[in-house]
Amino acid sequence: MSGKYKTPMLDELEKGPWPSFVTEIKKAAKKSDMAEDELGQLEKSYNTKRGYWKHGGIVGVLGYGGGVIGRYSSLPEEFPGVAHFHTVRVNQPSGFFYTTKALREICDIWDKYGSGLTNLHGSTGDLVLLGTKTENLEAVFAELSSRGWDLGGSGSAMRTPSCCVGMARCEWANIDTMDLCNELTQYYQDQLHRPAFPYKFKIKISGCACDCVAAIARADLSIIGTWKDSIQINQDEVRKYAEAGLDIQKEIVDMCPTQCMYYNPEDKTLKIADAECNRCMHCIAKMTKALRPGKEKGATLLVGSKAPIVVGSLLSWVIVPFMKLTPPYDDLKELIDKMIEWWDDNAKPRERIGELIEAKGMRAFLEAIGVPPMPQQVKEPRKDPFFFWAESDFKK
Amino acid sequence: MEQAELQEKIYEFMQKMKGKKKLKEKDIIKHISGETGEDKDVVKKALRAMIDEGRLMYSYGGGASSVEIPSEEYLREKGLIK
Ligand code: SF4
Ligand code: SF4
Repeated sequence: MSGKYKTPMLDELEKGPWPSFVTEIKKAAKKSDMAEDELGQLEKSYNTKRGYWKHGGIVGVLGYGGGVIGRYSSLPEEFPGVAHFHTVRVNQPSGFFYTTKALREICDIWDKYGSGLTNLHGSTGDLVLLGTKTENLEAVFAELSSRGWDLGGSGSAMRTPSCCVGMARCEWANIDTMDLCNELTQYYQDQLHRPAFPYKFKIKISGCACDCVAAIARADLSIIGTWKDSIQINQDEVRKYAEAGLDIQKEIVDMCPTQCMYYNPEDKTLKIADAECNRCMHCIAKMTKALRPGKEKGATLLVGSKAPIVVGSLLSWVIVPFMKLTPPYDDLKELIDKMIEWWDDNAKPRERIGELIEAKGMRAFLEAIGVPPMPQQVKEPRKDPFFFWAESDFKK
Repeated sequence: MEQAELQEKIYEFMQKMKGKKKLKEKDIIKHISGETGEDKDVVKKALRAMIDEGRLMYSYGGGASSVEIPSEEYLREKGLIK
């Protein structure tokens, strides 16, 4: 089977010490016509500088509006193996933890019904299975669901929420990201599988400002763990860092974005003006033994980031500076519901919530969700004066 | 109104709109609820039942979703009709 196509262009991408997707597709092509024709079509694309994929249309499993992205070759006669090459998104477990048994099961199912090619994980967070035919979709879904898997979101829906590894592996997690992610995934099952929104809505959860799932840049709602009180300092460990050669002034204090740290080289002690600290994690990540997040933990909620699809990219914007998050997270769910309701009532088709806030103004959004204006919400000082007034505030 | 009757209304509307406008669930529910006076939740339930049995299906284009009448060719490919 393999060797049907000469691929000099793609072969270039196998050179060097890095893993190569071309090598992996070639391995899959030894036992899959689909993977082999995918290789052939891709080589042709590299030569002609043209893409040959069409995507969309009615394709999916019964009752679900998401989880399958229809993909077809525009050259089905030349590359019959990829005439259909649909993507299946599988809802990943919170924090991306799998047993090897579970991964083997997924791979076996995909060898049976698909190209064998996978992408762990797509930028949505889902476990992505690449390339299957329409007639295999119901069978794939039945096999996946019989083993406890479910499809993820796609289209104008709640997208599969995702989170960092959180408390399972990381001492900096200020919130239980995995529990929250699972809870929101269960709560929004209907919105995830039945696309009824103006466009996509993504929730990503990071346990601290290191933001390992890039929530601030990729989620309509970014939930980022933080603390309210003071950074915990162990001065003995600060001293040990200094004695071990760390230039605390240069590498920590001078790089603090709010300039709220003070280091005394005489007695090798560190002070932090916590009221000025923006919880960026820089100092904590550099002096892991000496500094720890505070004890009063919760999360900052930010809204509106997106990649540049319809209009330009946006970063998320602070809406709630601090919220305590305890199961079953009812306050949070209620707030998200209000955000979605306002967006659903006001957005044009394919308008993300961040774009709608830009169009209608932060005031309208905050009023609709019942959050008062706060200084922390000012994204660009001077450009966004938060004067919230109504006609009725003035005496006629 | 019986669910079957409501579903016929939905289907007629979908046939009328075919090729003219991409309809989201919400558009269909709003229209049929306005036309029949039925509660939106009742219309939603009838619509969802049609989607579950493949009489209507979700469709996807340019990242946005809509609801459509599936083609016979698609239903055949899926093995839902012979
Ligand atoms: S985002 Fe923070 S808490 Fe989560 S894994 Fe990364 S460093 Fe740890
Ligand atoms: S967390 Fe960031 S802002 Fe706060 S003290 Fe450390 S470096 Fe400065």
